[in-house]
Amino acid sequence: MVKERLGRDIIAMRVAKELPEGAVVNLGIGIPTLVSNFVAEDKTVGYHSESGVLNYGSLAEESERDYDLINAGGQFLQWVPGMAFFGSEEAFAMIRGGHVDVTVLGALQVSERGGLANWMVPQRGVGNIGGAMDLAVGAKRVIIAMEHTDREDRPKLVKECSFPLTGRRCVSLVVTDLAVIEVAPEGLVLKEIAPDWTPEEVQSLTEPKLILAPDLKEVEL
Amino acid sequence: MAERLSRDLIALRVAAELRRGQVVNLGIGLPTLVANYVSRDRGITLHSENGVLGYGPHASDETQDPDLINARGEHTTLLPGGAVISHNDAFGIVRGGRLDVAVLGALQVSEKGGLANWLVPEKGLGSPGGALDMAAGAKRLIVITEHTNGGAPKILKECTYPLTVAHRVNLIVTDLAVMEVTPEGLVLKEIAPGWLVEAVRELTEATLIVSADLKEMDFGFPKEPPVEKVCSSAAEAVADVFDGAVILMDGFGGLGGMAHYLMLALRDQGAKELTVVGNTVGIARVSAFGAPPSPDLQAIDHSILVETGQIRRAIASFPVSPSPSRPSAFEGAYRRGEVEMELVPQGTLAERLRAGGYGVAAFYTPTGVGTVVAEGKEVREFNGREYLLERAIRGDFAFVRAHKADTLGNLVYRGTSRNFNAVMATAADITIAEVDEIVEPGELDPEAIITPGLFVKRIVQRPPGFSPFQPIVKE
Repeated sequence: MVKERLGRDIIAMRVAKELPEGAVVNLGIGIPTLVSNFVAEDKTVGYHSESGVLNYGSLAEESERDYDLINAGGQFLQWVPGMAFFGSEEAFAMIRGGHVDVTVLGALQVSERGGLANWMVPQRGVGNIGGAMDLAVGAKRVIIAMEHTDREDRPKLVKECSFPLTGRRCVSLVVTDLAVIEVAPEGLVLKEIAPDWTPEEVQSLTEPKLILAPDLKEVEL
Repeated sequence: MAERLSRDLIALRVAAELRRGQVVNLGIGLPTLVANYVSRDRGITLHSENGVLGYGPHASDETQDPDLINARGEHTTLLPGGAVISHNDAFGIVRGGRLDVAVLGALQVSEKGGLANWLVPEKGLGSPGGALDMAAGAKRLIVITEHTNGGAPKILKECTYPLTVAHRVNLIVTDLAVMEVTPEGLVLKEIAPGWLVEAVRELTEATLIVSADLKEMDFGFPKEPPVEKVCSSAAEAVADVFDGAVILMDGFGGLGGMAHYLMLALRDQGAKELTVVGNTVGIARVSAFGAPPSPDLQAIDHSILVETGQIRRAIASFPVSPSPSRPSAFEGAYRRGEVEMELVPQGTLAERLRAGGYGVAAFYTPTGVGTVVAEGKEVREFNGREYLLERAIRGDFAFVRAHKADTLGNLVYRGTSRNFNAVMATAADITIAEVDEIVEPGELDPEAIITPGLFVKRIVQRPPGFSPFQPIVKE
C-alpha cells in the first residue's frame, strides 16, 4: 500500500514555522507562494517581491485587479498600508546586498552539498532564470519547498545536480512532502520525517546518503 | 595697461557658452557666479551633486530651509519642475554622460587640458569632493579662473599640483581671455577689451596659438528655439528608430509597466533587425501576467514585433512562457532559429542597465557563479567569495512606461509598474516615456520624482480609452 505524503499546504505550513519574527522574506512561485497563508497572525514578516514591492499583503480579488500591483508570479495584489515600491535595480540590490533574510524557492533538484537547479528542464531546451540566481546567492537563508520526488518518482535530492544549476552550495534547508532535511557541512541531515514513514523508506527515494539527526522526529507543525 | 574683467563679467562670458536644454553643474567660487546669468527662461537645468536638480536663486533669510541647500552649503530654491534626488543618483547622472557642462574653478590648468583644483601641496591636505567626478564625467568641461595668481601664471604647460583630471578641459575663460584646448594646443580665441596678444602671452606659461578669427570677448547670448519634449503621437515619438537599434523595453512582463502604445507604433513604423532588452520577451499573451478580460481578446506584448520579424535578438531574464504547453511567439521564432537570445539573471540585468545608465563599465556580482551564465566570463575572488564580471548595457532607445510626466520629462510611476522602467530610462540615448497624463512643471512633488527629466527626451500620452488588449484575429 502506498503511504500518504504531506500535501502542498502542509509543506508550506512547515516552512512558515521557519520564518523568524521581523524577517524580510521572498517567496518563489509554486508551493513557496502558499507559505504566507500559514504564517501566524501575531508574527510580523515583511514580504519582498522582485516585481518591486515590500510588505505586500494578500492576493486581490478578480474584480479588483490592478495592473500596477503584481507579485513576481504575475498575480494581482491588494493595496495594503505599509507597502513600499521600488525599481528592479533596487529590488535586487536588496537581495544581493544581504537585506533579504529568507527566500523560499521551489526546485527541480537539490544536491547533497546544497546546489540548486530550478530554472530549466533540459528537455525543454529553453528556460527562465528570472530572479532565482540572485535569490540563491543573495538571500541570507535559502529554504527549498518541493515534492521529494519527480513525476516518475525519481529522487530530486541528488548527489550532483544534472540539470543546469541556479547556484552552488546555496541551500540551507529542504522541506518536502516526506521530510525536513538540513544541508550541513557533513551532508544531508534528516531532521524530521512525515508520519508513518521510516528513515529507510525516505532514504530509498533519496540519492545521497542521509545522516539521521540524533533527535530525528515526526514533522512538527 | 588695460583693466582685467571683473569676476561678474567672466561669469557672464561663461553663461554665454551654455545652451538651452543643457544640464550644468557649477563648482565653488567663480563658477557660482555663473548662476546669476542663467535665467529661468533659458531652459537650463542646474545640477548640484548633493542631490538637487533645477535649483534657482539663493533663498532669502525668510524662505531658507536647512533641507534645501546646494553643494556649497548655500540655501537655495527649487524652480518648478525641479527634483530632489539622492547623492548616488546625482553622481550617476554625472558619470552616465547626462551632465552637459561642468564649470569648475582652477588652481592650475595645462595646455593639454589638465586641471588641478583640489589640493595646494603646501597645505598638505585637500578635498576632492565631487571635482574628480565632474571633470571626468561632464561632456564639456569649462574652467573659469583668474588668469594669474598674484602675478604667477595659472595657465601652464603642465600642472605641477595634484591633478583633478588629465586631459578633459575644453575651454578656459579668464579675466583676460577665452582659450580652447585643441589637439594642436591651446588656442586663444577671444581677448579682453583693450588687451594685446603679447600682454596676455606674458602672463601665460602655456604656448598660445592665436586663432585666425581672434576677436574681442563676446558676451552675447545665442537665440535658441524652445526644447519640446511632448510628442503628439507614439508614431511621432518612434519615427527615428533605425534598423539594428537596441531598444530597452518591457517592464516586468505584465500589462502594468509595458509601453504598449509605443510598441504598436514601432510595429507600424517597421524598423527591423532590432535587439530588445527586457525582463521578458512577450509572455503576457501566454501567462497570468496578461490574462484578458474576455476570451476573444489577447494582450499586446512583444509578440506583435516578433510576428512581423522585426526582432533579431533579445537580452532577457524571463524570455519564454512559464508554461511549456503555451509557447510564446518569441519561443517559436527561437526554435526556428530566426532570433538570438542572451539569457541574463534578473538582478544582473537590472544592474547591467544601472551600470549603463550611471557610467560604470562593468561590475562583479556573485550571481551566476558556477552556472551557464558564467561561461566565458571572468571570475574573481573577493574576501573568499567568487564573483562574475558583468558588463554594462546601453540602449539606443528606451520605451518607458510611467504614470505621469511633466512637460520637462520628470516621471513618476505607480505601484509595481516602476520595475525595470526607471532604470531603463537612465540607460538609453533616447528615452521615450509613455504616460497616462502630462502635467505642467511644478505639479509633481519634487521629492516624489523617480526619473528626473534630464533622462527623458520625448513624452507621449496614451490616447483616452487605450486598451492593452487587442482582438484575436482568426486566420
